[in-house]
Amino acid sequence: MVAILEKGRFRDFDWLLTLLATGIVFFGTWQIHNAQPLENYWKKQLIGLAISLVALFAVAFTDYRKLVHFAPAFYLFGLVLLVLVLIPGIGLRINGQQCWIRMPVVGQFQPSEFVKIPTVLMLAYYYGKQRGNALGWMEIAVGVGILALPAGLILLEPDAGQVITYVPLLAVVLFLSSVRMWVVLASLALSVVLIPAAYVVGVKTGKIKNYQQQRIQAIIDPEKADRKGYGYQTYQSILSVGKGGVAGTGGGSTEYSQSRLKFLPEPHSDFIFAVTAERTGFVGSILLLVAYAVLLSRLLMGARRAPDRAGMLVIMAIVGGLAFQIFINVGMALGLLPVIGVPLPMMSAGLSSVLATFIAIGFAVSVQLRRFVN
Amino acid sequence: MKFHDESQNLRLRLRIIQVVVFALLAVLGVRLYFLQVVNGAYYAERAENQRVRLLPIPAQRGTIFDRNGRILVDSRPIYNVILSREEMQGKDFSTLVAPLSEGLFIDPELLRDRFNELKSQPAFESIIIKQNATMSDIQWVEARQGFDHPELRIEQQPQRRYPENGVLAHVLGYVAEVNPKQLEREEYKVKGLKPGDIIGQEGLEATYDNYLRGRDGYRKVIVDSRGRIQDEIEKVSPQPGQDIVTTIDLDLQETAEEQLRNSPSGRGVIISVDPRNGEILVMASAPTFDPNLFSQRIATKAGRAEYAALIKDPRRPLYNRAIRGRYPPGSTWKIPMAVAGLEQGAITTEHSGLVCGGGITVGNKFTRCMGHHGTPELRTAIKHSCDGYFYRLGLKMKLEGIMQMVESFDLNKRTGVDLPHELISWTPSREFKKKFQPKAADWGDIDTVFASFGQVYENMTPLSMLRTIAGISVGGQLYVPHLLREVHAIPAIGEPGKFDYRPEREARTFVPLDASRPNPKVVPISPEHHRMVVEGMWQVVNQPGGTGGAMQMAGFDVAGKTGTAQVVSLGKDTGENKDHSWFVAYAPAYKPEIASIALIENVGFGGKFAAPATKAVYEVYYRKTRPDAAPQDVAEIKPPKSQVGHQ
Repeated sequence: MVAILEKGRFRDFDWLLTLLATGIVFFGTWQIHNAQPLENYWKKQLIGLAISLVALFAVAFTDYRKLVHFAPAFYLFGLVLLVLVLIPGIGLRINGQQCWIRMPVVGQFQPSEFVKIPTVLMLAYYYGKQRGNALGWMEIAVGVGILALPAGLILLEPDAGQVITYVPLLAVVLFLSSVRMWVVLASLALSVVLIPAAYVVGVKTGKIKNYQQQRIQAIIDPEKADRKGYGYQTYQSILSVGKGGVAGTGGGSTEYSQSRLKFLPEPHSDFIFAVTAERTGFVGSILLLVAYAVLLSRLLMGARRAPDRAGMLVIMAIVGGLAFQIFINVGMALGLLPVIGVPLPMMSAGLSSVLATFIAIGFAVSVQLRRFVN
Repeated sequence: MKFHDESQNLRLRLRIIQVVVFALLAVLGVRLYFLQVVNGAYYAERAENQRVRLLPIPAQRGTIFDRNGRILVDSRPIYNVILSREEMQGKDFSTLVAPLSEGLFIDPELLRDRFNELKSQPAFESIIIKQNATMSDIQWVEARQGFDHPELRIEQQPQRRYPENGVLAHVLGYVAEVNPKQLEREEYKVKGLKPGDIIGQEGLEATYDNYLRGRDGYRKVIVDSRGRIQDEIEKVSPQPGQDIVTTIDLDLQETAEEQLRNSPSGRGVIISVDPRNGEILVMASAPTFDPNLFSQRIATKAGRAEYAALIKDPRRPLYNRAIRGRYPPGSTWKIPMAVAGLEQGAITTEHSGLVCGGGITVGNKFTRCMGHHGTPELRTAIKHSCDGYFYRLGLKMKLEGIMQMVESFDLNKRTGVDLPHELISWTPSREFKKKFQPKAADWGDIDTVFASFGQVYENMTPLSMLRTIAGISVGGQLYVPHLLREVHAIPAIGEPGKFDYRPEREARTFVPLDASRPNPKVVPISPEHHRMVVEGMWQVVNQPGGTGGAMQMAGFDVAGKTGTAQVVSLGKDTGENKDHSWFVAYAPAYKPEIASIALIENVGFGGKFAAPATKAVYEVYYRKTRPDAAPQDVAEIKPPKSQVGHQ
């Protein structure tokens, strides 16, 4: 902690990134209040922000290279947590999913949010050495294995939405670790063909459940969605967003908002973007997207300046994860993508998500702080 | 790049990721632009529609009173199960048949019919699924409103309550839901009716529907996703319908209905009017029906069966005999004949004697009289109802004279009563004979004889006959008979200029529907002629040998005339085919206040059945209007002096 007082460290610290992230959380807290003013989600979010800031500073002032060095230990610890959550009595079962562990002081926390960090560290640990040539098949297979272990455990909860957010972490790391360009292009081409094919096969064999089909149907024609079905959520989200118009519903009472009248489900978490769009309109929504863009640019800049490959990979995996999660969540709120239960980083209510994001940003700051070292 | 690693174009790969990230954000931005800026208004409206709901507040329908302020019809609140359209968008009605019929005990067939009806109506707002819901129905709906049946709700509505024994049923009519065919017609469109609205469908309920029907109010409320009301943002109070005071006297009406009910055939009509202004005091038609069937039970299986039975009933209980029954008037026809004979100069007060002859021979056909009356003068001919006299009077007047009489007494027109579906009587004319007997189309003297005694060429509605008799009783003033005495005013609702303002609805009295017809129509009758006919009618009741002796009342001077209308030819007139029994009367004879007609179907001689029925009504009238008169007073024989001519 003495390090904080060092003048150089203080100067080199990425204040813009930290302030931007904090600002987004504050903005999000206002929206959580708009969504559910009678609940105390917004208060919890502020407490979560305080905890998260402490964690961010702690991680930022720790040398990331030491953390990468101990990556296998963190990774193993993460896997243990993911196993623990599956044990009845330790893991809490909510809506048929077992993804929460009850903790004495913090309340509940969601291991799958945090395990992203050790997974990223483990990937950086494995791919972080100086490279001279393209990745071999064996190396790719190891990377897939590093991802598959936590992903498989999360699928057992089951939380398919969370698993999807793990995919870009590996994709970015592999892409930057000199996987051959033709492999990249081939896999892109293959997914264009295989994803619809898999959907058709999945529907025919009954592997894709009815509610999942409904969610996808709702994207195609949201107005026909059955109000009791899942597509209804997409329709209501589109209505909320559209209703906001250019300037939003303004600063008055939220009494008749889509969320207050319970047309919009999960307004404080999964559909927080729809609440924002209804309240602040096109102006506010675009400003939020711009804030995300600035934050991601700042991280990208940090990645370019990273002192070593491992540091660069950590930051870029964070960029990939955040960007992907933002796109999935907002895309869902705008009716572009089916309903997937993924929180919007720094906006959705929930300590686990905010804390995990801030720890990740802490890493990025730590990498930058050491850019002149070496 | 801080570390020197240019393998596989790392710099380019970082750039690619950056581009992909910004591209994804740009896609979101474009989508936002379309949702919020381009289509924002559309979505705002959709969101508004799903949270704002208009709940109608049904207005109370006006009460109908008798002339003394006694309630004839009013409304009481009931609960209905309502299906609202907004919640049904995109849903299949047929999936509702099974759960609703089981949960609310509704016949599935009826429900299916109801839903089919709706398909042809593009813009219904809400429909009644079940009327008169019980407590358990209400609980059933409320338990499901927020969950599997958000389309249902409970609404309070006033329901019409008619006298259950069918008193005055034909006059009051009934209310029922406006039907799809009516909604297509212009006269209903201008009223701003929508499916499900309750309107008057028959009788006074129909004629004065615009006054009786209130203006529904509404509540504009905010509902949540489960249809639960969160807040009220606007309320317009309903404006009740206007109360109506009729000219009916319930005591007299009940007496008349009792008389008809207890008559041998149980079928007939009694009407009484005030001849001085046309106000109808009694209009009884038997058999009757229970109008509550239409306002309360028609949507149930039992109700539909009840309706089908009424339609099939050969005694035709649904039909108002006073204005839709057409009967040969029999000898009551002789009253206008007598007046017209005098006015046209066929007879005079000095020389009114004509031969009876026990009948008349025209060509080779003999038409008999019921007796042998010598050569009676007019009064005696009326008193004894001498057919032979009137055969010869008719021949003197000729068809043209009879037609002129029909014309002057409006007998070939509607009376203009304020009830729907009044029929026009059949009266003698050459055209009528052509239609009636195409094989012997020419009018001969024998036809004139027939046209003179009310048996062949006349089929009169009782009301048009009564209008003539009542007009004659007051010396030739034919008022439009009517049932409306007064429409009460209803104060304005809300503040002028505001959205919830409903202007005052003004009071009014009866105005003939056809304003071009004079009210009263004045038929010139000289006082001498008038007196002579009145004297004849007075003798019918009050002199020994008169055919209407059964009508005689102590203290009340009644003038009358019997009639016996053949249904089939002589000799077969027994059982079901007995003659119709008629009696027309007014009293007091020289200053009439009440004029009546009574017809009892298929019972026989007029003096025996119709006259006592009329007497029962007059006794009640007498007691009500002359509470101080000692009942033992014996009627003085009045001097034959008219007090009517200058009235």
